[in-house]
Amino acid sequence: MFNKNHKSEGLKDAETIIGASIKVKGNFQGQGNIVIEGALEGSLKTDANIFIGDRAKVVANVEASEATVNGEVRGNIKVKNYLALGETAKIFGDIQYHEISVEKGAAINGQLIWLDEEHKKGDFKKNDEKGSGVEK
Amino acid sequence: MHVYIYDDYLNKNKYNKIINRIEIRLTDLGLNGKIIRLGGIKNIKSAIQNEVRLGAKTIIAVGNNQTINKIIGAIIDNNIYGDFQKNTLLGIIPVGGDNSIAQSFGIKDEEEACNILLARRVEKIDLGLAGQHYFLNQAVIQSLGAILKINDYSLEITSRGEVRIINLLSDQKEKIKSNPHDGQLEVVIRTKQKDESFFTIKKLIISHPEAKLLLDDVVEVATPVEIGIMKDKVNIIVGKDRLFE
Repeated sequence: MFNKNHKSEGLKDAETIIGASIKVKGNFQGQGNIVIEGALEGSLKTDANIFIGDRAKVVANVEASEATVNGEVRGNIKVKNYLALGETAKIFGDIQYHEISVEKGAAINGQLIWLDEEHKKGDFKKNDEKGSGVEK
Repeated sequence: MHVYIYDDYLNKNKYNKIINRIEIRLTDLGLNGKIIRLGGIKNIKSAIQNEVRLGAKTIIAVGNNQTINKIIGAIIDNNIYGDFQKNTLLGIIPVGGDNSIAQSFGIKDEEEACNILLARRVEKIDLGLAGQHYFLNQAVIQSLGAILKINDYSLEITSRGEVRIINLLSDQKEKIKSNPHDGQLEVVIRTKQKDESFFTIKKLIISHPEAKLLLDDVVEVATPVEIGIMKDKVNIIVGKDRLFE
């Protein structure tokens, strides 16, 4: 879904796109890939991938299989597989991940918690307090 | 039996030639049937319902989006709907403008429409519902100030533009995945800031402090209104160049 420059590949791959002029409030749950370019307050969850654009402001706990974050997230992030933080990403919350890349310029204010294979395979909900290692 | 419902605007002289051409073509193809002219009828719903009750095999809307809307409005949510669903097909012969629904079904003009009626390629099509009103193509409202409530969340739109809730695409150039068989509606929000939002829903409530919701370019509906979808509700004769799979 995402290329090396942390840009979304556009409409054709995402099942849900929230544009820059949209404010979402509440529990936003999708089944396919989600692109957020606007504002979201509440919670954000999908079994697939999430792309958060550089102008996006998300005040929510975020759960996904893979995610790319270029904007601001105030809340905890849980990514079962690969998380990419772009140079404009600002995270205020804890991050659970299996694989991660962080570009120069990204800001993280929270704990980084690695999910091992065992915890990665489980249901997100069961893993809420789990992680095999903590980095600061 | 084929029943042709002529909309009242076709009484104008400028349509005489087209109507003559259609009638000759239908006779050539052996598709002639009963003609009902809505211009001369006070109770349109009852006239259409009566034809279904009498066992019409095909009801053909001769006119535009509004004609189709009138026919669907007369049939759905009525005790004759069971008969209609079992025995009757809906056909379309577009005449003049405002024919986005016919375009969606791959029916470009009146001559092609006659051939399509003969080929009798049938698709079950979902029907959008906004309050008590139905739509085949789409429901549209101004975006600025609109609030959409969907399941556990709501969306507020902060720029001028348009919210479209699509059942059936009417323009091939649109790069939107839309399928009138999937029991879902696609919501597309395009604003003047040139940003686009897209998602699918089964149900939502839309409200706007000023604007009304426009269904199939024909019917205006006040908000707040609940919008939903009824799966495979109408059997329609479609062309092979229809804008969906």
